[in-house]
Amino acid sequence: MKVPVSWLQEYVDLDATPQELADKLTFSGIEVEGIATIGSDYAGVVVGEVRHMEPHPGADRLRLCRVFNGTEELQVVCGATNFEVGDKAPFAGVGVTLPGDFKIKKAKIRGEKSFGMLCAEDELELSDDHDGIMILPHDSIPGTPLSDILGPPDTVLELEITWNRPDCLSIIGIAREFAALYGTSLKIPEISLNEGTAPISDFVSVTIDDAAGCPRYTARALTDIKIGPSPLWMQRRLSMCGVRPINNIVDVTNYVMLECGHPLHAFDHALLSENQIVVRTAASGEKMATLDGVERPLTSDMLLIADSEKPVAIAGVMGAAGSEIQADTETVLLESACFDPRRIRRTSSTLSLSTESSHRFERGVNVETVDWASNRAAQLMQSLAGGFVATGILDVYPGKREPRQIKLELARMDRLLGVSAGVDRVVAIFESLMIPVVEKSPETVTVEVPAFRLDLDIEADLVEEVARMYGLAHVPDIIPQAKVVPNACDEPSRAIFSCRDKLIGLGLHEIMSYSFVSESLLNIFTEEDQAARVLLPNPVSADHGVMRNSLIPQMVECLGRNHSRQITDAALFEIGKVFWKDSEGAVNEEDRVCIGLMGKVGCGELEKRRTVKPDEVFLWAKGVVEALVSAQRLDKDTLRFTPAEHPYSEPGEAVTVKLGDTPLGVLGLLRKDLRHRHRMADPVAFAELPVTPLLGSVFTNPVFHPIPQYPAISRDVAIAVDQNVSHSAILKVIHEAAPVELTGIDLFDIFTGEGVKRGTKSLGYSLTYRSFERTLTDEDANGYHEAIKDALKRELDVDIREG
Amino acid sequence: MNLAEIEAVKARAVASAMDAANAQDIEAVRIEYLGRKGLLPQIMKGLKDVAPEDRAAVGQGANALKNALNAALEKRLSELKANATHEGAPSAFDATLPGRWRACGTMHPISLVIEEAVRIFSRIGFTVAEGPDVETGYRNFEALNTPDYHPSLDNQDTFWLESGELLRTQTSPVQIRVMEKQPPPVRIVTPGRCYRRDTTDATHSANFHQIEGLYVDTDVSLADLKGTLAYFAQQMMGPDVNVRFRPHFFPFTEPSVECDFTCHVCLGKGCRVCKQSGWIEIAGAGMVDPRVFERVGYDAEAVTGYAFGMGIERIAMIKYGVPDIRMLYDNDVRFLTQFR
Repeated sequence: MKVPVSWLQEYVDLDATPQELADKLTFSGIEVEGIATIGSDYAGVVVGEVRHMEPHPGADRLRLCRVFNGTEELQVVCGATNFEVGDKAPFAGVGVTLPGDFKIKKAKIRGEKSFGMLCAEDELELSDDHDGIMILPHDSIPGTPLSDILGPPDTVLELEITWNRPDCLSIIGIAREFAALYGTSLKIPEISLNEGTAPISDFVSVTIDDAAGCPRYTARALTDIKIGPSPLWMQRRLSMCGVRPINNIVDVTNYVMLECGHPLHAFDHALLSENQIVVRTAASGEKMATLDGVERPLTSDMLLIADSEKPVAIAGVMGAAGSEIQADTETVLLESACFDPRRIRRTSSTLSLSTESSHRFERGVNVETVDWASNRAAQLMQSLAGGFVATGILDVYPGKREPRQIKLELARMDRLLGVSAGVDRVVAIFESLMIPVVEKSPETVTVEVPAFRLDLDIEADLVEEVARMYGLAHVPDIIPQAKVVPNACDEPSRAIFSCRDKLIGLGLHEIMSYSFVSESLLNIFTEEDQAARVLLPNPVSADHGVMRNSLIPQMVECLGRNHSRQITDAALFEIGKVFWKDSEGAVNEEDRVCIGLMGKVGCGELEKRRTVKPDEVFLWAKGVVEALVSAQRLDKDTLRFTPAEHPYSEPGEAVTVKLGDTPLGVLGLLRKDLRHRHRMADPVAFAELPVTPLLGSVFTNPVFHPIPQYPAISRDVAIAVDQNVSHSAILKVIHEAAPVELTGIDLFDIFTGEGVKRGTKSLGYSLTYRSFERTLTDEDANGYHEAIKDALKRELDVDIREG
Repeated sequence: MNLAEIEAVKARAVASAMDAANAQDIEAVRIEYLGRKGLLPQIMKGLKDVAPEDRAAVGQGANALKNALNAALEKRLSELKANATHEGAPSAFDATLPGRWRACGTMHPISLVIEEAVRIFSRIGFTVAEGPDVETGYRNFEALNTPDYHPSLDNQDTFWLESGELLRTQTSPVQIRVMEKQPPPVRIVTPGRCYRRDTTDATHSANFHQIEGLYVDTDVSLADLKGTLAYFAQQMMGPDVNVRFRPHFFPFTEPSVECDFTCHVCLGKGCRVCKQSGWIEIAGAGMVDPRVFERVGYDAEAVTGYAFGMGIERIAMIKYGVPDIRMLYDNDVRFLTQFR
């Protein structure tokens, strides 16, 4: 909210710099987000009178004016059309410098000379308004310095009013805070109304059908009023608060709203059918066009202000089109009311329609000063627009507020704050805030909640008042005492930290992607999962329209993005959540770890130029998975990689991973078309594993096994075998033929090509034999080794390569 | 050959060994003296002609010659080897070649901050609690004393799902989960991902991370909160960083405060980072509202507690000088590898 300091000073005496005021407010709970200076001395800008006007001979949209600046008439080319001969406007002659260092020079515009400029409000930095020049009051005397008319520059505080303090959404509310902070008094304007003879009942009757939605509704009528612009001082104040001046009646409703926080509504009485006001709920299917020209469908929990035939306003939000004050309005019906904040909130939210009025009503207004606001507005309307105020105020008040008291226990407050303000200070604070103290003792203070403080409900609310006014700087910072809470356990999070550490130790870089992806991206990967996707009904953009159901698509996008930036090798991982819907529509989520390898990341330092074969990249990724599993203290030897189809891979290029019987995700090479989207020539490998199975053993104790006492004997065997025989098939044969003394099998060579028969491959294995009971002899080892060779020949038809 | 002659040969032989310029020279000296047709075998052959009473002495002399020469040759050879390396002579060993071992990877800056924050709070007795990203409206709002007409329930700010659940807008529902399950005392931190319908720009992201803390016990005060946040500030941002409180409003705490840290760049003097104020707004905090305790079945008369929350991205950006939140989710390898 914007608060001009000069307006504030009408209600409270302030003697401090704007920065001091801002700090005072900020440290008592109302954050000042900015301090703006509006206006300047406008050196050289004077009142100009438009004496003559004709079309510009060379341009349809420009006009030639003769402007009298108090001493001479000057020709000025002007583009605005919102003025007539005789109007007064700010005039900046040649040589004048406007705000923003804009210097006025003699100019020739489309062949016509121009000796100055008639200014719009934005050019004077008075507002953002650039809809035509600023029209000054008719009685302004040409040549008068503009600063004499507008007064000195003003300071505007821009405040963030927290949601609990609707009482501060007004100048008086802020003035009340300042009065409390500086220990001065609040000056509320006196109202003297000059009521006419006709009673209000001649003009309107009010019925509240929904008392829960409308605890109070008042109406006043003003007759014989003259619609016109409001005076400059009022327009200036409205502009400084960000409200656009319209006419004297509407401006007064806005002015009083800004002044005291009550939104008001002025209807043209002539448009009201049968002098009736009914506060009712909307009928289902009912529609209404609002002031902004939009036809809005209404729902049955919306409150309407209606006459005998039609709705004339959505209560507390916006008036109906056509019900507003017209240039020829003679009788005004003035509404000041109080509505249920929840109802206004829901209505405003359902209609996506937020106004200055709904902003205040949905936070709550003071039900007890509804009539004050009406009287204040009537007084101002009468003084600005003439006419008569009908006698009396029609006040339907079904929701009278019960007075409430709250007791504050000082000892408890001191314990909560960690500092003691003392009973006298506490009482002084409440009194300064105009919160009446009804009882006090050294132990307790009881207050009565004033009607304007809708936020005060329980003791803690009073503690907050004391804390903010006493000053949080008084709260000491106590060195924290570590405290052991029994049974507290954070193993799950530490297990994830350890998993992350290990992947980093393995040389992978961690990435983080959004939890949202675009449907179109998922569709490129697969459309099979569409039914299980969790769509966002209200996404910020289509790019973020669905919750990710796999970490892989974004991993691929990330690799692709880096690839397009000339980073062709990368080993990345992400730990994050994926989301899917089950057949009942329930949303599930799971932590996963995803690995992505691109380029020659597995190659040694001096082999980055060589071609990388797809199966190599696959095996690198497999190696990462094995190393991770092993580092997480799981039994790597129980890992099973089973060929399986996966929509992100070409047929035959993906495997499912299992740890014993526990499914552990997928590992594979990325489908070609998905690579080619990013012009990635080298194969890309991915793996995605659920995190939970990887965490179970992190905190188990390693168990010591005795270190072998006797030396081992190694024997190599080189075999030539059919290309289709797998490593695991060979291992199986070796294991079956092996004695317990076989303690290690290491593949040390794979070779195809020259010297190896077509369709076969040569594999070299180093077998380690060791006994835990004795030193093996060469003869022992040779015996074991020959038996294994025989089994390989017999079972797999291998050629044993000698030498 | 008599003893004196042998001594002379020894001196000559050792000298030529010392003068050897390279391995070939050394080999030549060895052959000249010790080789099959060298001087030493000749001396040994001539031993039979030496007078018997001198024979033992001459024999010892010959042996000494052999030992001295061998030692000299060996010494010279190792000198030559050492020199060869020092003088940059061609060698198979080039220590300037790049090392060959896989480098470690890097942790994402968001994880860095989360892990650092968790370590700091762990030192003073907090344990991590976690919860799901998909939450009920009850735990995310109602249980936290956020009335059903509060603006943050609006579509504008919250991602509601078709299931009627929502993506949590804060990690506070984890506090509710813990308090529902466990009687006081509670001393937890809750790092995690949250979601708000913010349009992405340099400082906003529709998904982001928070870490919140909650301490509930019989006698917890605002002063304890201030001390805890001051400890965190110093551990996270530097020893000269202090905290200050400004009153604020949150539905779930009363009193509520916003907590500023001294700008760690200028240490309070005012700079571009803190917009000349000397302070940076980091945390929202306060004393747990008794109505929250009532929701979870705690005795609001018997316990007090504080809660605080901070944005991880904001801390990462301030701590590491990252100018745009989107960089944290772009995952450019040249960005990631800076966070070693």
